[in-house]
Amino acid sequence: MATDAPMATATDPALTLAQWFSPGFPVGGFHFSHGLEWAIDAGDVTDADTTKAWIAQVLEHGSGRNDAILLAAAYHAADDATLLSVDATARALAATRERRIETEEMGAAFARIAGALLDRPLPALTYPVAAGHAAQLAGLPQVLTAQFYLQAFAANLATVAMRLVPIGQTDGQTVIRDLTPLCRRIAEETAEGDMDALSSTVFLPDIAAMKHETQATRIFRT
Amino acid sequence: MTVLPRQVTDPPRARGEVVLSVGGGPRGTTIRDLRHSGSLRALFPRGPDMQVVLTNTSGGVTGGDRFRTRITAEAGARLSVTTQAAERAYRTLDGQAGRIDTTLTLADGAHVAWLPQELILFDGSALRRRLTVELTGAVSALVVEPVVFGRTAMGEAVRAGQLHDRIEIRRDGAPLYLDQIRLSGDLEAHLRLSAVSGGGRGMATVLFAHPAAEAQLDALRALLPESAGASLVQDDLIAARIVAPDGYALRQTLMAAIRLLTRNAPPRPWML
Repeated sequence: MATDAPMATATDPALTLAQWFSPGFPVGGFHFSHGLEWAIDAGDVTDADTTKAWIAQVLEHGSGRNDAILLAAAYHAADDATLLSVDATARALAATRERRIETEEMGAAFARIAGALLDRPLPALTYPVAAGHAAQLAGLPQVLTAQFYLQAFAANLATVAMRLVPIGQTDGQTVIRDLTPLCRRIAEETAEGDMDALSSTVFLPDIAAMKHETQATRIFRT
Repeated sequence: MTVLPRQVTDPPRARGEVVLSVGGGPRGTTIRDLRHSGSLRALFPRGPDMQVVLTNTSGGVTGGDRFRTRITAEAGARLSVTTQAAERAYRTLDGQAGRIDTTLTLADGAHVAWLPQELILFDGSALRRRLTVELTGAVSALVVEPVVFGRTAMGEAVRAGQLHDRIEIRRDGAPLYLDQIRLSGDLEAHLRLSAVSGGGRGMATVLFAHPAAEAQLDALRALLPESAGASLVQDDLIAARIVAPDGYALRQTLMAAIRLLTRNAPPRPWML
């Protein structure tokens, strides 16, 4: 009878991932709006439909897909040098200063806590790279990890819209539900971690994140 | 059966390469090495500072064309580079992409301004473009890369096309900034998405690497229109993104940004 399996595999992977990507996992995601606060302030996002469209485009054509690629590349990294090279690319990809701080701070917090849970110190990597690396160490399935990561990203932005647009709680949860198939598709399409496929064409959220840096009154850090 | 030789079946492909190396010294910036081949040429208009005007004598880029530019600025060299005309990416006839590959290498103390005129994507065009800027030490590098989707003055939109555009800045061999765009299919429909450009057909990236870059941030932000932003993305690097309704509006903003960041008028070909 096999009794020496690693601890992490003794738990259902989905439950471990549900813990890692729950809003209660203290990576500080609630500080960051990814430029959505500016987009709401500017009147570009005004209701549940425009919230969903904005988040869907950031998932499909911006940070969502790029983070999923980086997560997969980190997961598949054969050695530390490859992992650090993926991480350096992740930092260079940040379109704005606040975006870079967002991924660095969330990644450092994630690595600290996940490292403690895995009983193995993790370096302070950017958020998607830390998530991919930790998932690989814990023996979690890569595509499912990316799905949880993307859904948490979408849910965090939907929460921003619930507070600031505002949209109702049920509408906000409907937005998250409606975006879940997209999270799944992106996770599957990016499973190889092909760094050549990195692409961001959502120019207006990048510009919004830049303008957010000088926004007079703001609740979120990005 | 007879097989036609490849040169008969394939349309002619344009090739062009410029390799330029400049050095700094007590008598100003001087050319250390210059090689041209094919349909790419470097011209050096007279003036107080060294300016390079790149000319594509094939008139544009289409499927299968390859253009390469390698520019090295040694310690203390000062150089600005532009193009004689907007670069036109024509409709590709066989689905193949044209390629434009540019590398700028700056040694400690070099000043380089890379100020090409617009890349204009015609409907049906396919282009893969790569710009790599290698920095060492304390340098000043300004990169302005405008892209216009369709001949906007004629009301043309890119209903089918492909653009892979990559801009990378590296410092001491490590990535400092990476912007990668991969688009294919109906580009006009993509641009119309609310988070992409809201239908704007002009887009530009402006990058300014300088030890005192931060000192220019407020002034740059002040001259940008509503649909543009700038950020001090690294301690010595400003990244700005500009979206504009068309090429004309984009150019007005970029000329103001160039004036601010070079303390000089835009290169002459921009003014014609």
